[in-house]
Amino acid sequence: MIVPLEHILILAALLFFLGLGGLLAWRANLIMMLVCIEVMLNAVMLVFVGGSAQWGNADGQIFAIFIMALTSSEVSLALAMVVYLHRRKRTVNTDLFSEMKG
Amino acid sequence: MELYLAFILLFPLGGGFFNAIVGRKLPRGMSEAVACGVIWGSFICSVLAYFNFTGPIKIEYASWLTAFDFRAPIALYLDQLSLALTLMITFVCGLIHLYSIGYMKDDPSYARYFALLNIFVFAMLVLVLAENLPLLYLGWEGVGFCSYALIGFWYQEEKNATAGRKAFIVTRIGDTAFGIAMVWMYQLFGTLSITQLNGMGNLVPAGIVTGLGILLLIGATGKSAQLPLSVWLPDAMAGPTPVSAQIHAATMVTAGVYLLARMFPLIGASETVGAAIAVIGGGTAFYAATCACAQRDLKRILAYSTISQIGYMVLGVGAGALTAATFHLLTHAFFKALLFLGAGCVITALHHQQDIYRMGGLKSRLPAIYWPFLAGALCLAGFPGSGGFFSKDAILGAVFERGGVLYGSLFALGLFTALLTAFYTFRMLFVVFHGESHNPLPSREGGHSPLPPIMTVTLIPLALFGLLGGILDLPEYLGTSAFLSGFLGPVPGFAGLVQAVPGDEIALQIIAATTSIVGLGLAWSRYTGDRRATSLAMEEAGSPRSDFFLNGWYLDSLYRLLLIRPFVRLSGFLWKGIDGAVIDGTLDGLARFTARVGGVPAAWSSGRVVTSLFGLAGGVCVVLAYLAWLVLS
Amino acid sequence: MWVPSVWEAQGLPEQKANMEQAIFYILSAVAVIGTILAISEKHPVHAILYLVTSLFAVAVIFYLLMAPLVAVFEVILYAGAIMVLFLFVIMMLDLGHPEKGFSPHWREWLPALLLSLVSIASLAVVIVSRHGQIIAPAAQSIPIREVARRLFQRHGVAVELISLQLLFALVGALYLGKQSSPAPGLQSPSHPGVGGGGEDKSP
Repeated sequence: MIVPLEHILILAALLFFLGLGGLLAWRANLIMMLVCIEVMLNAVMLVFVGGSAQWGNADGQIFAIFIMALTSSEVSLALAMVVYLHRRKRTVNTDLFSEMKG
Repeated sequence: MELYLAFILLFPLGGGFFNAIVGRKLPRGMSEAVACGVIWGSFICSVLAYFNFTGPIKIEYASWLTAFDFRAPIALYLDQLSLALTLMITFVCGLIHLYSIGYMKDDPSYARYFALLNIFVFAMLVLVLAENLPLLYLGWEGVGFCSYALIGFWYQEEKNATAGRKAFIVTRIGDTAFGIAMVWMYQLFGTLSITQLNGMGNLVPAGIVTGLGILLLIGATGKSAQLPLSVWLPDAMAGPTPVSAQIHAATMVTAGVYLLARMFPLIGASETVGAAIAVIGGGTAFYAATCACAQRDLKRILAYSTISQIGYMVLGVGAGALTAATFHLLTHAFFKALLFLGAGCVITALHHQQDIYRMGGLKSRLPAIYWPFLAGALCLAGFPGSGGFFSKDAILGAVFERGGVLYGSLFALGLFTALLTAFYTFRMLFVVFHGESHNPLPSREGGHSPLPPIMTVTLIPLALFGLLGGILDLPEYLGTSAFLSGFLGPVPGFAGLVQAVPGDEIALQIIAATTSIVGLGLAWSRYTGDRRATSLAMEEAGSPRSDFFLNGWYLDSLYRLLLIRPFVRLSGFLWKGIDGAVIDGTLDGLARFTARVGGVPAAWSSGRVVTSLFGLAGGVCVVLAYLAWLVLS
Repeated sequence: MWVPSVWEAQGLPEQKANMEQAIFYILSAVAVIGTILAISEKHPVHAILYLVTSLFAVAVIFYLLMAPLVAVFEVILYAGAIMVLFLFVIMMLDLGHPEKGFSPHWREWLPALLLSLVSIASLAVVIVSRHGQIIAPAAQSIPIREVARRLFQRHGVAVELISLQLLFALVGALYLGKQSSPAPGLQSPSHPGVGGGGEDKSP
C-alpha cells in the first residue's frame, strides 16, 4: 500500500463533498448537477478500490466496476429525461420545475 | 324398506338436480320425462312400502347435525300417517306433473319449472317423513322456498315477484314461531326426535305445553294460510295454475295441519291449545268462505276455498279428531287439485281469461272439463255421497261430540260455513259453465292455444278418487268398517278423544246433507235461468258490502296500515337519518378533517428538488459533526 | 496479470515507495483542483473538460493502488463515454453559451460550501482518530485473473442483472428521447433516440 488508507479516505471525502457542494449550488443547471453526481460516485469508487488494495480482496475492484456500469445506465436515462424536460420548458433550471409542490 | 324410503326421497331430488343443471340443454321431452318419471317412481316405491308395511319404523341413514349433546341425524319415520300422506303426495303430484307438461308447453323456462317442482316434492316428502324436528324444518323451509320461487315463476312481471315475496315473508313469521318452539323444546327435553318428544308431554307443567302449542300453532297458521297469516294465499295465485294446484291446494298448505297432527300427543294435552287451534280453524273457515262468495277471479275463489277447507282441518285437529282431519286432508287434496287443474284448463282454453263474469256457457263447449269439474264441486260442497261429504261431516261430527259452549258454537259456525261453501262452489260452477257464453271460444285452428289433451286426461283419476274417496272412512252405520280410522288408529294421538254416538251420527249427516243441498239450491236459483243476468250485472257492478268481502275483509290494508307503513317509515329514518347523516357524516367528516390536517404540511413543500437535497446534505453533515464531536470530546 | 512496478524490477523498494507516494500526492492535488475548477466553471463544456482531467488523475491513482482494470475502465467508460455523453446533450440542447447561462450567485455557494466544509472537517477528524486501528496485512497486488475469476464466479448473478439493467436503461432512454409529436420551437436537427446509443457496454 503506497499510502496509508486514511489518506485515500480523506482524498475521497474531499472529492465527495466537493461534488456535494456543487450539487447543492448548481440549481441553475441540471446538467451541472448531474456532473457533480458523477464526481461523488467517482469518489465512492476510490474508496472501494482503496479498500480492495488495503485488504487484498478483489471484491472492492469488482464493486467499483459495478458502480461504473450502473452509473452509465443512470446517466443515459437522466440525460434522456433532461432532454425531455428541456423540450417541455426550454430551460434546465431546476428551480423552475416545481409542479410537485403540495 | 330402507331402500324404498331412500328412493322415495332420492328420486325427486335427483330429478330436480338433473333438471336444474342440464335440463336447459336437453330437449324438452327428455326434461319432462325425467321430471314426471321420478315422481311416479317415488309413487311406486310408496306403494311397495305400503305393501311391505308391518308397523311404524324409524330408519336412521346418516348423521347430519351433531354438536355436544345435540343430535339431529337424517332419520325417517314411517308410520301410518306419513305413509298415507306420502302415497297421496306422490300420486297427486305425479298427476300434476303430467298436467304441467301440457300447461307449460309454450313456456321456455321449462327446466327451471320442473326442477323446482321436483325439489318441492322432495322437500314435502322430507317434511312428512322426518323423524326429528330439524329435518322436518328443513322440509318446511324447502317447500317455502320452492313455493316462493314458483309463485314468482314469471318474475319478469313485478306483481308476480311481489306475490312470491309476500308469501315468503308472511310464512316466515310462522317459521320463526316454529323455530322458537323447536329451540325451547330442545332446552326443555334435550331431544328433538318426534317420537321421543311425543312421549314427554307429561314432564312439564301445562302452561309450558300451552306455550309450545301456541308457538307451533302460529307456525302452522303461517304455512297453512290461516288467520291471521292468510293474506299470502290469494296473491299466490299469480303463479302457474299447476303450482297452485300442487303447492297451494294439495300439499304445502297441509303441512301445518300435518305438524299439528304429528305433535298432537305433546301439545294436545292442553285444553287451551286445543281450543285455540279449533277457534282459529273455525274462524278462518268462516272468514274465507265469506270472501269466496264475492270473488270474481276464478283462481281466487279456489284460493279462498282452500283457506276455508284447511280451516276445517285445523278445526278438526283442535277438536281432537285427528283421523277426521287427515281424512279431510286426503280427500281435499284430490278434489282441490282437480278443481285447480280444471280451472287451469278453462283459463287456457279461454286464452288466459280468469274473470268469471267473462265466462259462461262452457258446459257444452268444454264437456271434457265440465264433468270432472262438477265432480270436484260436488266434493267441495259436501254433496251427499261424495268423498268430501264424508270427510267434512266427520269433522263436524267430532266437533259436535266434543260438547261444551265453545265447540258447540264452532259446530254451528262450521255448519253455516258449509252452507256458504256449497253456495260459492255452485256459484262458481254455474257462472262459469252454465248460461250463455259471454264471448266466443277461441277456435282450435285459429292459431290460439288449443287445449292439450293431457290436461283433460289427468282430471279423470282425480275426479274418481274425489268421488269415491268416501270409501276410505265410511261411518259405521253403513256397515263397512272404517278403513282409515283403523289404519290410522295406532298412531299416537289418533285414537280420538270422543267416540261418536251412532244416533247422533246419522242426524248430523242428514243435517250436513241438507245444508249442502240448500246451498246448491240457493246458487241454482240465483245463477241459472232468468235471474242469472240480473244477478251477474248486480255483482259485477259491485257494492261496498261485496267489496269488503272481495278484499278479504280488508285484511291486507289493515296490515299495511299497522305494520308495513310504520316499518317503512322507520327504515327510511334509519337509512337517511342515521346511516346517512350520522354514520356516513362522521366518517366523511373524519376523512375531510384528516385531509385538511395533512394539507397543512403539504403546503410547506416547495416542489423543487434542491430543497430535499439540502435536507439530505444537512442530515449527513449533522451526523458527521456529531461523530467528530464524540471523537474530540 | 500482475503488473510489476517499475522500481521493483530494479530491485529498489525504498525508492519505489517514495516515488509512488509522491506521485499519489501530486495526482490527488490534480484531482482536487480539477474538481474545484469543474464545479465553479460557468461554461459547461469547460467544466466537463476539467472533470475529465480530474478523472484521469483518479485513474492513475487506481493504477497505483494495484487496480489496473478499474483504471482502464475509468478512462474508457467514465472519462470516455459518460463525459462524452454529457457533451452530446449539452451540444444538442444548445446550452453551451456562457453569456446566456448563469452560474450560481455567491449567495448560493455559501450554504453549500458551509455544509461541505463542516462535513469534510468532521470526517477528517473521525478518520484521523482511527489512525492506528486499521490493521492491514502485507500489501499484495491482485492479478487480473483473480479479479475476473471472482467477478464471474462469485458475482456472476450480479453481472447478469447489470446487463439486464443496461438493457432497461437502453429501452428507457430510447423511449424517453423519442419525439412522438413535433416539439414546438425546437430547432436542433432531431435525431431519433438520444441517450441510448453509446451506453450499451458491459464491463
